[in-house]
Amino acid sequence: MFFFVVRRLIASVLVLLASSLLVFALCAASFDPLAQFRQRQPPPTQAYLDNVAEGLGLNDPFFVRYWRWLSGILTGDFGNTINGTPVADQLVGRIAVTGRMIVLAMVLAIVLAIVVGVIGAVRQYRASDYAFTFLAYLLIALPTFWFAALLKEFVAGGINDLVGDQVLYTIGEQTPGIELYASGSEIWSDRLGHLVLPTVSLALLSFAAWSRFQRSAMLDVLGSDYMRLARAKGLTYRRTVVKHGLRNALIPLTTVVALGIGTLFGGAVITEQVFVWNGMGRYLLESGIRDNDINVVLGWLLISAFFVVLFNLIADVLYAVLDPRIRLS
Amino acid sequence: MASTQGTTATAGSVLPAEPGSPVGGGVDREFGVEARSQRQQILRRFLHNKVGMTGLVIFVLMCLFGFVGPLLYGAEYATQNRNAQSVGPGEQGYPFGSDEIGRDLLAGLMQGVQRSLFIVLLFVVIALPIGLLVGALAGYFGKWIDSLLMRFVDLVLTVPLLVVLIVVASNFPNSRTPLGVGIILGLFGWLDLARIVRSQFLSLREKEYVEAAHAMGASNSRIIFKHLIPNALGSLIVWTTLAAATAIILEASLTYLGFGVNGANQTSLGRLVSDGVQAAATRPWLFYFPGITLLVIVLSINLIGDGIRDAFDPSGRRVRA
Repeated sequence: MFFFVVRRLIASVLVLLASSLLVFALCAASFDPLAQFRQRQPPPTQAYLDNVAEGLGLNDPFFVRYWRWLSGILTGDFGNTINGTPVADQLVGRIAVTGRMIVLAMVLAIVLAIVVGVIGAVRQYRASDYAFTFLAYLLIALPTFWFAALLKEFVAGGINDLVGDQVLYTIGEQTPGIELYASGSEIWSDRLGHLVLPTVSLALLSFAAWSRFQRSAMLDVLGSDYMRLARAKGLTYRRTVVKHGLRNALIPLTTVVALGIGTLFGGAVITEQVFVWNGMGRYLLESGIRDNDINVVLGWLLISAFFVVLFNLIADVLYAVLDPRIRLS
Repeated sequence: MASTQGTTATAGSVLPAEPGSPVGGGVDREFGVEARSQRQQILRRFLHNKVGMTGLVIFVLMCLFGFVGPLLYGAEYATQNRNAQSVGPGEQGYPFGSDEIGRDLLAGLMQGVQRSLFIVLLFVVIALPIGLLVGALAGYFGKWIDSLLMRFVDLVLTVPLLVVLIVVASNFPNSRTPLGVGIILGLFGWLDLARIVRSQFLSLREKEYVEAAHAMGASNSRIIFKHLIPNALGSLIVWTTLAAATAIILEASLTYLGFGVNGANQTSLGRLVSDGVQAAATRPWLFYFPGITLLVIVLSINLIGDGIRDAFDPSGRRVRA
């Protein structure tokens, strides 16, 4: 098992290196760092623009620029924004904001997908299966931002009215300045109130697709010979499903979840925009794309790629835990 | 046997042969089953699939709404009402109300459906050949070609697709038009298709008929186009339907974030939906009608995909996932 993990770890590092090259190439081809200077009034002279380009190292060969950026990354330096502030300082705080939403959404989506997928498979073609199938189709067909807006505008108000107090918040990741007057538990409950809607909107859209995969995998497992053998040996149906069936049915879901991390990051960009969260998504759009700031975009893309690779590594290790044949091969 | 002529055939008797038919032709006529081609069987299975047919009927209705509707309805989306103001559904002759500057929402939805379907068509026309080519090369030739192409696909998939689209669209000329959005989606939307085609080709290339074609001296390109692609057609059609649905949602998401369709009187379902989100609290009809229209189209395409997947399953016993 140890050597299996080491092999996978080395492969992941290589993938991340290659990914960093791809990300750099994409940004180098897409962005014009001099655009903000060209738009100034009165327009700067060509000599000035050449001077800026030289200062930014834009005249250097591609691989020289890439190596300069990568060596900075390896020492924790993501470069500066066009305003001169370090990108790394901004990213650290924002990863925590986006991270808690993505992790919670992922956990919620996985738990719901497993429960609904297993129920759908065990009760195939019953009313509950049809209801879950219809719900999944409906959620898959919804754009993230429309569903998030639906929750924000119409669900939050209804629940708050029902409770008679503001328990769900629709703007920001926490109440501004709450640290100045609230205790630790109050801060946490406030953050939780802000976290519910974005997390639910992100989780439900992932859950819809994942539950279909889980149901499909569970149906395959339920029809297998070893399940019939387990029943023939006298095990109860519930024990057979949970102990033997679910373990094998989780392998395909592990793959789907690992591949879905990128989608969750993309979804988080939209969700943060709807709920006005100051996380990585808004940072990418407002400081990166709109300001044409290549270092911000590079930092964002590299961090998202890192998490995708990390979750794929975790998935590989989980395969080995769930199926001993994989780690022995 | 003569006694049975002209009477009802008994269990043990044979019906008289018709002129020009082989002896015992009557039995063929009685019990013979007309052979159906694989294509006919697939079509028959699809036509008997309630889910798929429901999706198809809804989709056809939406296409009629988008393309025939404007001819019957007559109103132009670009035309504003007299005061350039928003009115609710059913007021001043607007069945679905008007938007914030007084344009007819129903006319906008018709135009939006048109443009969104154009974007989808463009996406498929670009992504399908690229994904097919990359997947076919990787799956058929294997070895270093497979490793090289699939590692590239895996690498691109480490970066969230939506963000790649945003980065490209933000600096892509004419990206704010349906044409531009369709091209961008097409250029980056083929990755999962390449994987699907590769996995299909890896199994298909081991089949006996491929070996036979090789032995008869068929070229690689002939084997790929004449033998392998037709047998991978089911996966291609299913991918096309599901990817088309995803493309509509991606276009809407891009537009919401400000990187999609965004010109004067340029519209798409995504544009209408994203505009509606901003007005959800004050003018809910601008939120609901475009959102539900988009939902219905995407849902119908997904249902068609599900029906096609069932129809292409040769055993006819595929458990619907």
